[in-house]
Amino acid sequence: MNARRMRRAVLGLLVSMTPIALGAAAAEAWSYKEAAKPFAGQSITVLDETTPLQETMKALVPEFVKETGIKVDYQLLNHFEVISKGQADMLSGRGAYDAVMLHSPQMGLLLQADVIRPIDDLMANKTLANPDLDLKDLSQPAWDSLARFKGKTYGFLDWNYNVVYWARNDLLGHADEKAAFKKKYGYDLAPAKTLQQMRDIAEFFTRKKGEKLAGETLASDFYGVVLEGIKGGTTFWTLWNAFIKNFGGDIFDAEGKPTVDRPENVAAVKLWAEMWKFAPPGQAEYSLIDVPTVMGNGIAAQTLAWSDFVLGIDQPGKSKYAGKFVYAGSPAHAKSTTRSAETEPSMIVISKHSKRAEPTYLFLQWMVDKTTQKRFFETSKGAGVPIRESTWTAPELKASRFAGLYTAMRETLRYGRAKPKAPKIFEIMDVMSGVVQEIALGRKTAEAGLKEAQEKIVAICAKCTL
Amino acid sequence: MVTLVVVALVPFLYTVYLSLHEMQYARVGAWAGLENYRVLLGSPRFWHSVAISALFVAITVPLEFGLGLAGALILNQGVRLRSIIVPLLFVPTMMAPIVVAILWKIMLAGSWGLVSYNVLERFGILTDTSVLASPALALYALVFIDVWQWTPFVLLALFAGLQSLPVAPYRAAQVDGATALQTFRRLTLPLMAPLMAVIVLLRIIDAFKIFDTIFLLTGGGPGTATESVSLLAYKMVFDFWNLGAATATAVVVWVMFFAFSNVFYQLLKRTLRTS
Repeated sequence: MNARRMRRAVLGLLVSMTPIALGAAAAEAWSYKEAAKPFAGQSITVLDETTPLQETMKALVPEFVKETGIKVDYQLLNHFEVISKGQADMLSGRGAYDAVMLHSPQMGLLLQADVIRPIDDLMANKTLANPDLDLKDLSQPAWDSLARFKGKTYGFLDWNYNVVYWARNDLLGHADEKAAFKKKYGYDLAPAKTLQQMRDIAEFFTRKKGEKLAGETLASDFYGVVLEGIKGGTTFWTLWNAFIKNFGGDIFDAEGKPTVDRPENVAAVKLWAEMWKFAPPGQAEYSLIDVPTVMGNGIAAQTLAWSDFVLGIDQPGKSKYAGKFVYAGSPAHAKSTTRSAETEPSMIVISKHSKRAEPTYLFLQWMVDKTTQKRFFETSKGAGVPIRESTWTAPELKASRFAGLYTAMRETLRYGRAKPKAPKIFEIMDVMSGVVQEIALGRKTAEAGLKEAQEKIVAICAKCTL
Repeated sequence: MVTLVVVALVPFLYTVYLSLHEMQYARVGAWAGLENYRVLLGSPRFWHSVAISALFVAITVPLEFGLGLAGALILNQGVRLRSIIVPLLFVPTMMAPIVVAILWKIMLAGSWGLVSYNVLERFGILTDTSVLASPALALYALVFIDVWQWTPFVLLALFAGLQSLPVAPYRAAQVDGATALQTFRRLTLPLMAPLMAVIVLLRIIDAFKIFDTIFLLTGGGPGTATESVSLLAYKMVFDFWNLGAATATAVVVWVMFFAFSNVFYQLLKRTLRTS
């Protein structure tokens, strides 16, 4: 009887374990090579943006082609072309591209036009979906805020650019400067954790030619801060996400209606504009390229800058201040409970007009695959912006001379979200970037400028988000 | 003729066709009649951008023409090393607009530009702003850059014209005892007038279309201080995706130039006939 029970128990156990075992076998058996067999020989065309990171990815694409037999025409175009050409291709229905890289602000228009193919069915397709893809490992809140909308998923992360706090460590750590700062402001001089501290540091380090800075006599004026100020560019994106939202404000309410002139926004813009007093005089023409140039030239103490641009400056031979910089996550507000930072998560989406969605999906999946991402960071020698949480612990990053920068990036990325899905967002940004520039130049007050912007934006869209 | 129709007329007629329709994203929608034009012509921003472009033309073209003519007359006097000077003069004109923009960005960028840092700020000329960041100066900086790039073209085109003038009338004038000024007024100007008119017209059309340097150097700012009509049209297409308004802009600008060129041509014809 006992033996029979034992046999039955063993049999029951075996039966109950069969699906698990089969599942495990399936997981083991899954490979890009097998999944791609029905599509071998097919060609897909993918449009991405030219950046050093994407150039690295391009070097890896032949590995996918070799493994799967799917031919990939991985095209890289400059920022403006990738937007105009990719967007035009999708909106016009030509379908020359199977997949197109989208910046998060583009999502609103393209979702409204219904030209992005959701990938939920492909993700659920056991033949196509890599069971080891580990989507929980993708950077958050970047992925959810970018790719998931009204119950559908539209892609994976392609990149995850972000704005970090960047300062001169030789100045912030100088004993005399530290003592003088503490005497004046009553707290220790250190990389700014709050926007208010950033303002104080900006004021403190703004010096005229002939004055002393860290024991040296200045040969030219020195500025406490440098920020992006050009009309267009990412001036208003950073102001919006790194200042306004940290003040508890926003330019839309929960329903997507414009709320540009609310008091929190006015207070945030005032602080931002006040910092211009401590910035180089030409800040209104500064783009995201000028800001790192100014930091590299050593004429400003601190900034908020796109971290990938830092990689090009903090290098021996590129700037005489290389190695003298310190980084931190984008600062918070001293009192507000909300926290926000400027980031630009982007993704490659499958065009609704693509006739090769399955092989394209395999390629997009391969791009974010852990193995590919590992290869990516090996190939780029540790230079890049992780899109996976697990990448932060990669040896290439830990050993990198940019380890401090990576810590700052990770801090920023905790609070960075994709832009709202607003079809007319570029038109709104055009209004906002012009108005805030005029406020910063003293041609308008924050109250009057934002009131004017509110009227203009209401005229563009009464309800701006989808 | 077929090439002309295919290359020039078809795209233009298609633009007119688009401007008369509702444009949903990049797809042609229902017939809109003159609605796109009504909205465009009622937009203060459009007229502001036209004014910016017109002001730009009004300053650059006379400057380029005046300096170009003066240079051409000097070169025509038989300046030494002319064979070296002429190719060198062509360098700015041969540069791609993006190269010109980058070059002048490096020169004029506030606090780190070669000219800004070493000249303007060092000598306390412009300490509270920079050339491209100042709403009052940015447009004039763009004018300066355009003059720098295109004056050599005007100069060399006029110089080529001067070189091809017949010698006999000048010898006759010399025999008659005409002064240099009289020779210039009575001979050179009338003989050169058709070429001058073409050059001026080309420069007006080209200057009105200014886009690249503005796009790269100021983005149309500060505020809207340098937003030309071409930049606005670009934004309408690639930023705002408002193709109806953008095509209407293209047609309106074409109509303006068509009218202007005709008036200009008629005036020129009358002037030449009189002279």
